[in-house]
Amino acid sequence: MDRRDPFRHNVLTSGHRACSGCGEAMAARMVSDLIGPDAIYINATGCLQVFTTHNQQSAWQAPWIHSVFANAAAVASGVEAALRAQRKKTPVVVQAGDGGTFDIGLQCLSGMIERGHDVLFVCYDNEAYMNTGVQRSSSTPHAVHTTTSPPGRVSQGKRHLKKDLISIIAAHNMPYAATATIAYFPDLKAKVEKAMGITGPRFLHLLSPCPLGWAHDSALSVSVSRLAVETGLFPLVELEHGELTGVMRLAEQKPVEAYLRPQGRFKHLFDSKEGGVELRHLQALADARIRRYGLLETDTQWDTHSAMQSARHGRGGYASPMSTVEALNSDA
Amino acid sequence: MTPKLEIEPGSSNAYHTGAWRTQQPVYYDKWPPCSQTCPASEDIQSWLAHATEQQWQAAWRKLTERNPFPATMGRICYHPCESACNRKHLDSAVNIHAMERYLGDMALVQGWRHQVLHETPQVQRVAIIGAGPAGLSCAFQLARRGYPVTIFDAQATPGGTLRSGIPSYRLPKSVLASEIDAILALGIELRLNSRVGVEVSESDLLDAFDATFLAIGTQRPRLYSESSGQDNGTTPSHSVMSGIDFLYRLNRGEAMQLPKQVAVVGGGNTAIDVARCARRLGAAVTLLCPQDPHGSHHHDLGTEMPASQQEVVEAETEGVNLRYRVGVRRLVRSGEHLSGVEIAHVDRVHDRHGHFNPVLFAGTEEFIPAGLAIFAIGQEADWQGLGYLSQVGEAEGVWIGGDAASQAKLAVTAVGSGYKAAMSMMATFKNEALLFDARKKTKITYKKMQLHYYPKQSRHEGKVSEARLSGFTEVVKGLVDDNAKHEAKRCLSCGVCFECDNCWHFCPDAAVIKKEGGYTIDYDYCKGCGICAQECPCGHIEMEPVTD
Repeated sequence: MDRRDPFRHNVLTSGHRACSGCGEAMAARMVSDLIGPDAIYINATGCLQVFTTHNQQSAWQAPWIHSVFANAAAVASGVEAALRAQRKKTPVVVQAGDGGTFDIGLQCLSGMIERGHDVLFVCYDNEAYMNTGVQRSSSTPHAVHTTTSPPGRVSQGKRHLKKDLISIIAAHNMPYAATATIAYFPDLKAKVEKAMGITGPRFLHLLSPCPLGWAHDSALSVSVSRLAVETGLFPLVELEHGELTGVMRLAEQKPVEAYLRPQGRFKHLFDSKEGGVELRHLQALADARIRRYGLLETDTQWDTHSAMQSARHGRGGYASPMSTVEALNSDA
Repeated sequence: MTPKLEIEPGSSNAYHTGAWRTQQPVYYDKWPPCSQTCPASEDIQSWLAHATEQQWQAAWRKLTERNPFPATMGRICYHPCESACNRKHLDSAVNIHAMERYLGDMALVQGWRHQVLHETPQVQRVAIIGAGPAGLSCAFQLARRGYPVTIFDAQATPGGTLRSGIPSYRLPKSVLASEIDAILALGIELRLNSRVGVEVSESDLLDAFDATFLAIGTQRPRLYSESSGQDNGTTPSHSVMSGIDFLYRLNRGEAMQLPKQVAVVGGGNTAIDVARCARRLGAAVTLLCPQDPHGSHHHDLGTEMPASQQEVVEAETEGVNLRYRVGVRRLVRSGEHLSGVEIAHVDRVHDRHGHFNPVLFAGTEEFIPAGLAIFAIGQEADWQGLGYLSQVGEAEGVWIGGDAASQAKLAVTAVGSGYKAAMSMMATFKNEALLFDARKKTKITYKKMQLHYYPKQSRHEGKVSEARLSGFTEVVKGLVDDNAKHEAKRCLSCGVCFECDNCWHFCPDAAVIKKEGGYTIDYDYCKGCGICAQECPCGHIEMEPVTD
């Protein structure tokens, strides 16, 4: 066991094979450290499963099982039902990418929610099939360059829109569904803790940048995810039983160009007249989302500026503080 | 019966992803711009960090390591630190001087005493000539390290220019006296009314002491030479005066009667002090400044007036009439009485060789009525009786500091020169190399920081007295307790870690390990993505290429 860090458990520990600067590895470590090691983690096929369990070396310091691509939610339903039969209260957490959530795993997820299983489903959304070489998914945003949506005469990258998954999930009379991203740790922490305090199906949608597929500098993963929120392209919202109950207000709205510029997957938009049209289209999409969720005027606890402020001696830690680690040590 | 299957999964910890790395993050404490600019090289970030934790005494001790005059300097220093403060790129600079004053005042109220660093007394005896900020600062550094120190001063009270040159509306005499007493309490011998070269001979001094620090200041005013103008008679002393004489007499408590209108000549801080004092004595004051007003254009040209901008604003608020780019063509008299000065546009004051040689443009003359002209056009050291000491240097055991040695004649520069002289002396005594700051002196600019991680918060100021022209009581009050707490927290801690946890939260590889009081990087696993350096608010982390 890795117990290098006295202030957190590192449920997802070092030595995994994610690319340098991987947003998904960061997101998964944050979420699993907030939940802690006393949970059962179910992982759909995808980047996360591949890079954490390479060559008989697991990066997971908690019970973990790999399902196939489509059925992570179904496996979780079974695990949860078995625990319930044994009157155990161990939390069950599903982790899947956007492929395993938006596309391939959607019907199992829908069934799991409809049957009311007490499971937290976390989607790490990197907006394409990165694991197999950057193919478009239904989560890929409009006008993005992927290997299966190359810009050319016919279209400027992906022709279709990103699937509005959170609305689909919320339409299931879902107890709790929220979007979050790695750039705002206190917001992510509050949402994970809120989700863990609710019984029934819960859903977290985390935007996690992919330096390889998005073609940005590996150091910019956090900055890019922050800009996705600040431009309005990825609104941070909370929905309970289908109703919008919380949003992250934008302290100031940034132009979408600030988000698109650092990313190579949008590079073609800056080279041509047709690209310019798509730039305006993306700006209009951001404006529409801001209007829809009231991101500029809703009165909230935090806004995009105050939620990221740094403070002397940190701003709160993880679910596995010193005491948990000490307890584990004394067991050993 | 099925065979029992036992597979123990290995841990990914066995695989060291650190081998992928081409660059690596390194934690470096940097020297923030405030400290870099401070002539006394105070570790401002460090004492503000103590103040943030409300460890007031620790903050005061850290501050006084370099400057034993916080209550004084917090009032009178023109705080170049604040002009350099990176926070001005976020909202406005940290009010460092008000915090310094707050700590200094607290020390006086609480009666905190300076601590002696070495109990063992040292043998080398040091003579210090001049009990001004440079001499006292040097004495303070030596005395707290156990050296016997004697200060000689020509005046009847210690303080030098701090006492004779600074008006009491900026620095109450009691504050200065208390801080000097605290320094002298370290066991420093003070011989007043003892001018070296007059009351004490040079040779006696050299015989009795191992080293000497010359901090004689600049006591002799540069005089206006009327021969260059068309002078038509003798100058009665009550109608023309030098700025430092005026301030000296005023600070000694002399009751001065001024005519209704006064002209002050000069563009430095002394000129402003004189003008503001004359206003308080009821005169209408015109300040005749040979330079241009403040502003980036003139700053770049190098023609900006040398006085502190804040002081100029204060003077204007108090009704001083400022005239820029003007020189005195002649003093206009009717008999013995001065009726005013004739001024003209001045194209330049000094020639290429630096000699005073003004070029005034004909046809731009103007008459400024004034019954008294006060010239604050510079001052120089008075070397009378110091024939030998003025010729020798450190090799002969003589150090020099303060205004007499420096271009920038600021009190805080004098304090810094006293510190440096003391350090240099002690290194010579011990035969060691002189080492000032081990910390890496890398400049940290706001561009290397992530200012969006800091909350915006407006600057707290001390209250300004309403009835400022009615006398010589202090104009600016200190910060109230509540504001001081908040003002300390405004420090961005440029280049110095304040444990915000960003690097720790954002490492995708769990390669940043949090420890009690800081972080370490586990280079076995760090892939060198650079996120920690990118997201560090204060620019404490550097990315360096991996060399092997």
